[in-house]
Amino acid sequence: MDTMAAIKQTFFQECEEQLAELETGLLAIESEEHDPDTINAVFRAVHSIKGGAGAFGLEELVRFAHTFETTLDLVRGGQIQPDAGLLKLMLRSSDILADLVRYSRDGGEMDESRVAQIHDELTRAANLDAAPAAKPAAPAPAAFEPVGAFDAGSADDDFVPITISFDDILGDGGEASSAEQIYVVSFRPKPELYAKANDAIKLLREIRALGNADVACDISDVPLLTELDPEGAYLSWTIRLGADVTEAQVREVFEFVEFDCDVSVTAEPKVDPDFEFVPAPIDETRQAMPLPVDDGPIIPEAVLAKIAQVNADPAKAPPAAAAVQAQPAQQAQTTIRVDLDRVDRLIDLVGELVINQSMLSQRVTEAGIARLSEVAVGLDDLEQLTREIQDSVMAIRAQPVRPIFQRMSRVIREVADMVGKSVRLVTEGENCEVDKTVIERLADPLTHMIRNAVDHGLEKPEDRIKAGKPEQGVVRMTAAHRSGRVIIEVSDDGAGINRARVKEIAVKRGVIEPGVPLSDSEIDDLIFAPGFSTASTVSDVSGRGVGMDVVKRSIQALGGRISISSKPGQGTTFTLSLPLTLAVLDGMVVTVAGQTLVVPLTAIVETLQPKGPEVHGLGERAKVIAIRGSFIPLIDVGYKLGYRHDEADPLNSVAIMVESENRVQSALMVDGIIGQQQVVIKSLETNYGQVFGVAAATILGDGRVAVILDVDAIVAGNRS
Amino acid sequence: MKSAMSTAVALPPVLDITAAGPLASEFLRVRGKDVSVDASKVERVGAQCIQVLLSAVATWTLDGMEFDLANPSAALVEGLEIAGLEPANLVARNA
Repeated sequence: MDTMAAIKQTFFQECEEQLAELETGLLAIESEEHDPDTINAVFRAVHSIKGGAGAFGLEELVRFAHTFETTLDLVRGGQIQPDAGLLKLMLRSSDILADLVRYSRDGGEMDESRVAQIHDELTRAANLDAAPAAKPAAPAPAAFEPVGAFDAGSADDDFVPITISFDDILGDGGEASSAEQIYVVSFRPKPELYAKANDAIKLLREIRALGNADVACDISDVPLLTELDPEGAYLSWTIRLGADVTEAQVREVFEFVEFDCDVSVTAEPKVDPDFEFVPAPIDETRQAMPLPVDDGPIIPEAVLAKIAQVNADPAKAPPAAAAVQAQPAQQAQTTIRVDLDRVDRLIDLVGELVINQSMLSQRVTEAGIARLSEVAVGLDDLEQLTREIQDSVMAIRAQPVRPIFQRMSRVIREVADMVGKSVRLVTEGENCEVDKTVIERLADPLTHMIRNAVDHGLEKPEDRIKAGKPEQGVVRMTAAHRSGRVIIEVSDDGAGINRARVKEIAVKRGVIEPGVPLSDSEIDDLIFAPGFSTASTVSDVSGRGVGMDVVKRSIQALGGRISISSKPGQGTTFTLSLPLTLAVLDGMVVTVAGQTLVVPLTAIVETLQPKGPEVHGLGERAKVIAIRGSFIPLIDVGYKLGYRHDEADPLNSVAIMVESENRVQSALMVDGIIGQQQVVIKSLETNYGQVFGVAAATILGDGRVAVILDVDAIVAGNRS
Repeated sequence: MKSAMSTAVALPPVLDITAAGPLASEFLRVRGKDVSVDASKVERVGAQCIQVLLSAVATWTLDGMEFDLANPSAALVEGLEIAGLEPANLVARNA
C-alpha cells in the first residue's frame, strides 16, 4: 500500500471514530445528559472529518460537512437553540455524513436527492442566524423562532436562502464587516508540539488567514547556544487578531495541538466601527524585544481602520475569555492503532503457549516429579502467568458494544420514519466488552431484530393510544456480562406476539401439522423456523428475504444462543447469549470410543450415570432416559459421529445433559469424563473443512488433536 | 557589515525541526568568530531553526562578535514575518 493510501485509510478509520463521537454527542444532547463540552465535541468531530476530507479532495463530503459544521457552530454559539426538530435534523445529518464517508471510501452511488434535501434543511437552519448576525452586538436566541425553520410549510416569506461558503467562515480579510471581532491570542508552544511535527509558524500562518493579525514574538526565553536544546520550545507569541469569526473558530486553529501548548483566546468587547485605528502596543513586560510587524498588503486599510485599540494584555481580558486547554472533563486517553492481524497473531501465539505449557506440565507429571517439587511449583506459577497473558491478550480484542448500539439507533430512526411510528431507543450497558469479531458479526442479526421490533413489534401510534400506551414506542437494547458470557436483550413495549396468528401461519406454511398442541413458548419459537414470516405483505423494512431463522443461525455460528419471550400487550424480548471470545472455550474433556472429545461447558447442564430402570427404548433404536419425571432422548455420540458401528450400552456410559436452543434438553452418551479444561479453538473449517457434529478442534496437553462437539448440530441431527 | 575575516555559514534550504540540531552544532563550531550567514537558499523555515538563529545572535552579542545575515531569501523573510520577526532580528553588530 502506498503512503497516500495508508494515510487515507487512517483518515477513514478516524472518520468512523469521529462519527461515533458525533452520534454519541447528539444523542446525549437529545437526552439532555450533556455538558457544555458535548456540543464542542460534536462540532470538533464534524470539523475533523471536513478537514481530512478537504485534504483528500472529497468535495461532496467537505461541502456537506461544512454546512453541518456551520449549523453546529451556531448552536455552539447559542444563536440557535437545539430543539427537538433541530436535533432530529442533526441526527439525520450525521447519518448522511456517515453515508458520505462510506461512499467516499467504498465507492457506489449516493442518494443525491436525500443529501441535497438534508443539506438544504441545514442551510435553512444556519440561515436563521443570518438575521441576528447582522445585528452584531446582541446574539439573542430569544429574538427568533428556530422551530419554524424546519417546517417547510411555514418557511417565512421574507426568508431568503443564502449559500454559505468557506469564505463566509474563514473570512476574507478584504471584506471586513461590522461583525469583526478583536481577539487576543497568547500562544506558547511546548517542545511536544514540535516533536509531533507541528510548527508554530504553520499555526501562526493559519491564524493570519482568519483575518488581520498583529503578531508579536517574545524571544526573551531563548538561551545562549550552549544552553539551547535545538528541539526545545523557547518562543511565545501574542497575536491580536481582527476577524469576522467566532472565538471557537480561532481556537480551532489550535485544536490539534491544544495539549502541546499553552494557548488562550480572549475576545475583546466590540467597539464602534468608526473608531480610529491605533497600532496595538506590545506589552513590555512580556516583550524583551518588542517586534511589531508591519503586515503590509495583508491588512487592507479598510480593515485596519476598524481594528480598535484595546489593551493587549490577556490578563486584563473580560471574563468571557476561554482558554483552549480547558477541557478537564475529557481525560486524554492514550491509544495506539494496531493492525488487527498483529493482534490475531499474538493471540495465536499465546494459544500455542497455553498448549505448550499444558504439554510441559503433563510431561513433568509423567516423569514422576513430585507435586511439591520446585519444578512443579514453578510450573504452577507459569500456568497462572500464561492464563493472565491470555486474558490480557483477549482483552486487546475486546471492544465495547457501544458502536453497534449506536448503529442501531440509526436503524431505528430510519425504520421509524419509513413506517410512520415514533420510537425511542433506550440502551444500557454500552460499555460491556465483547470480542471484536463477535461485535462485527452481530451487526446484521441485530439490525434485523431491531427492524422487526419497530416494524412488527410496536403497534401503530393509533393502536397504542387505544391500548392506553404512550404514542411513542420504546425499543430497549441492553448488554450485560453474565457468568462468562455476554447477554444482549432487544425488547419492545409493543403488543407481544400474536400467537394465534403465528400458529395459523405456521400451519399454512407447513411448518407444523394442524392441531398439534403447542405451549406458548413453543409457538413463540416458531418465529425462528426457516421460511417463517408473519408480515402479511413483504414490507420494505423487515421483509428483505431474511427471516428470524437466519438471525438464529448467525447467532449460533457465533457460539451464541437466542431465545424469545413475549407477553401479550406488554411486548417481546429477544435474548442473545454470546461467548466473550471466539478464541478459547471452557470445555469438558470426554472420551468416546478411544477418542478424546471436548464438549463446550456452556451447553452442559449436568452429568449423570444412567441406571437400568431409567433407560427406556423408544421405537426401533431410539432410547430415552427418565429424569425427574420427563423423558429425555439419549444420543450416542460415538455412534452418531461414526466412531463405532454399534450403539454403546447406556449403563456403561456417562450421560451429559445438554441444553440446546429452545431449551430442549438431550443426553449425550460418552464413555467417560476426563476433566474440565480451557481449550484454544482451532478452526476446522479454515484448516480442513466442515464436519458434521464438529464445531472446531483443539490441541490437548499431550499434543493430540481433539475435536470440539457442535452440540446443537448433534441434537438437531438426532431429531431429524 | 561583512568583514573580510568573517566565516561563512550557509543555511540549508529546509530549516525544519531536523535541521535545528545540526544548525546549532554548526554555530557552536564557529563560535568566537565573526560569521556571515548566507540565507539565500532557504526555502522553508520552522520555529525551531528561528530559535537557533536567535540564540546564535544572542551568543554572538554576548561574545561581542559580528553575526550577519546575508541575502535572506523571500521564504525566510516571509517565515520571519509570520513569526512576528524580521531579518534585523538575526543580526548582531558588535565589532
